[in-house]
Amino acid sequence: MSARRAAVRKPARKPVRGTPRWVLPAAVLAGIGLVVAAFFLYRWYVTPQQPRHASPDATQVVITQITSIPTSEFETVGQGTANNLLKPVSGAPLTGATGKPQVLYIGAEYCPYCAAQRWALIIALSRFGTFSGLHTTTSSSSDVFPNTPTFTFHGATYTSDYVDFRAVEESDRDQKPLETPSASDQEVYGKYGTGSIPFIDFGNRYVLNAAMYLPDLLGGQSWQPIADELRDPSTAQAKAIVGSANLLTAAICKMTSDRPASVCSTPGIQALEKKLG
Amino acid sequence: MARVQAAAIALSVAGIAVSIYLTALHYAGVTPACVTSGSINCEAVLSSSYAVIAGSSVPTSALGIVWFAVSAAVWTRPAGWTQVAWSAMGLVTVLYLVFIEVVRLNAICLWCTVAHILVVALLLIAVTARER
Repeated sequence: MSARRAAVRKPARKPVRGTPRWVLPAAVLAGIGLVVAAFFLYRWYVTPQQPRHASPDATQVVITQITSIPTSEFETVGQGTANNLLKPVSGAPLTGATGKPQVLYIGAEYCPYCAAQRWALIIALSRFGTFSGLHTTTSSSSDVFPNTPTFTFHGATYTSDYVDFRAVEESDRDQKPLETPSASDQEVYGKYGTGSIPFIDFGNRYVLNAAMYLPDLLGGQSWQPIADELRDPSTAQAKAIVGSANLLTAAICKMTSDRPASVCSTPGIQALEKKLG
Repeated sequence: MARVQAAAIALSVAGIAVSIYLTALHYAGVTPACVTSGSINCEAVLSSSYAVIAGSSVPTSALGIVWFAVSAAVWTRPAGWTQVAWSAMGLVTVLYLVFIEVVRLNAICLWCTVAHILVVALLLIAVTARER
């Protein structure tokens, strides 16, 4: 009986073939690829367009606005959110063409960090003298922090009773050569630079080799809205840019032996000078 | 020790080496040797505020040393859920860092990418070995 039952038993089912071993890792890899692709898509979607260049009249309005920030606002902001990246150096005092202590700037129009730092440098230097011939531009469209709105020192002049200012914009926003540093500029840069830009030397007393805030603070904005935000000490832009300008002002005051007193003797600048050492 | 474990430990050790390199450069204040072309820019990434753990001066790469060291330790045991879970944690961190690079900074650091690829490779090994 049991032998008969055994004879009619159905043959065992062949085991079902499992999912191939490569499927799960491939699915994980595909998932990661999709997520990263989504990041790039989102980046493309949120990348700021290059703002339309301001007309000469509109540029002048912006420059007048940012170079006439009241002392009370400088005092309110203090260092703000700016990173104090000024490094003290010791060397023979750097003087300019008229024999005054010199601020030397080496940068490039394509460079987003230079774009960010120029706002603060223009504000700081305007407390000691007057710029003319500044034009609006943006950093490169294909570099990090694309299309950061700024100004160029190329073609601009600066006059002051206290300091000389020399600016070298090595390349335009398309990275084509624009201006060449002199032999003495290169000597200073070789001695105190770190190989990157922006490089700013304050009379061989302090050097700055970076931006004091991240350029994405300005991304997607035009010049006039930024200038408007700078008039309100509570905005993120004012805290970063006016804060940076205060640090630069303190460094310049160190070069000029605290002249003019109207700028250098304020409690805020005196406090920052102590911080610089 | 299985070949798969040996391979995972080797990848973890490579990750430790890359992370130590980036951490040492951070403390030395030096930018790593890296191609700079358009969005490929190690300096932009490693000098950004995201290069350190929020609210500290500890570089993010120091976390990499810890993660790869733990990874090497867990791979001394046969493949299982522990390795999958640890690698998945690593993947979440990698995706966050890639998001920062691509969306916030629009810059890719090649050295960081090497470390990210090692994390993904370890996850793939863990998933494949777990299936056996």
